[in-house]
Amino acid sequence: MTVTLEPSLGDVHAVVEEVWSSFLGAEEPILPLATPMPPGGWSAAITVSGGWDAQITVNLTDGAAQAVTSTMLMCPVEDCADEDLRDALGELVNMVGGNVKSLMAGSAVLSLPLVGHGDISPGSHLVEVCRLELTWRGEPVVVTVHQPPTADPS
Amino acid sequence: MHALIIDDSKTMRSILRRIVTELGFETTEAGNGQEALDVLEAGLVPDICLIDWNMPLMDGYTFVTRVRADDRWRNVTLMMVTTESEHGQIVRALAAGAHEYVIKPFTPDAIIEKMELLGLVAQEVPA
Repeated sequence: MTVTLEPSLGDVHAVVEEVWSSFLGAEEPILPLATPMPPGGWSAAITVSGGWDAQITVNLTDGAAQAVTSTMLMCPVEDCADEDLRDALGELVNMVGGNVKSLMAGSAVLSLPLVGHGDISPGSHLVEVCRLELTWRGEPVVVTVHQPPTADPS
Repeated sequence: MHALIIDDSKTMRSILRRIVTELGFETTEAGNGQEALDVLEAGLVPDICLIDWNMPLMDGYTFVTRVRADDRWRNVTLMMVTTESEHGQIVRALAAGAHEYVIKPFTPDAIIEKMELLGLVAQEVPA
């Protein structure tokens, strides 16, 4: 029997692609292409607790965050307030986190999302186990999964 | 026809509202299960409730159990629309009285297909 201790990069990528294509338009796919992330921007994080403990975080530039919000709410970028960005990015990380959680064994619970300008630090007991550096509409998008360190099976 | 959309995300309520409005539904929105119960108590009897699971104050599962425990709302169709995709939770929601279950992310067609199956929307006949 195989016990999966952490999500694979490919599985997390598939989840992110599905969320993006469902809500942000399949005609503008999120690409597996690293683009330098400038300082600042927005972060949205959600924690999973129970059979699997983790934090899933999505980092976006201001431009990407505004484009996500504008597309999901179908309103012009200039009409998107910070409150709208928080809501849209919260829903985005909720979908990414919920579907990554479903990849893991055991029953677990999702928190409500936390969204803010700048970085959201994972708990000090967590280590990065998965990092996706992506590009959407020419802007960098980074998705990370942090979880407690697992014992080395070797 | 009337749909009550229950989700703590304004963005998701907006997405669902666009889909069901296109189908000819009037809509009312609530940000959590308690707000939705208040709407029902105030007299609205919707044809369908689209219900998120993970919400503050009252989650979607609790809302389903409360609605199903009250005979006034026995004819209201309940559809979960949620990121909660554990098999055990899906079974739990359906056992509590939800009629359908849609996992986010979804396409508009997925929602429309479920509503067709529930008889709330006329099924498209292939040409």
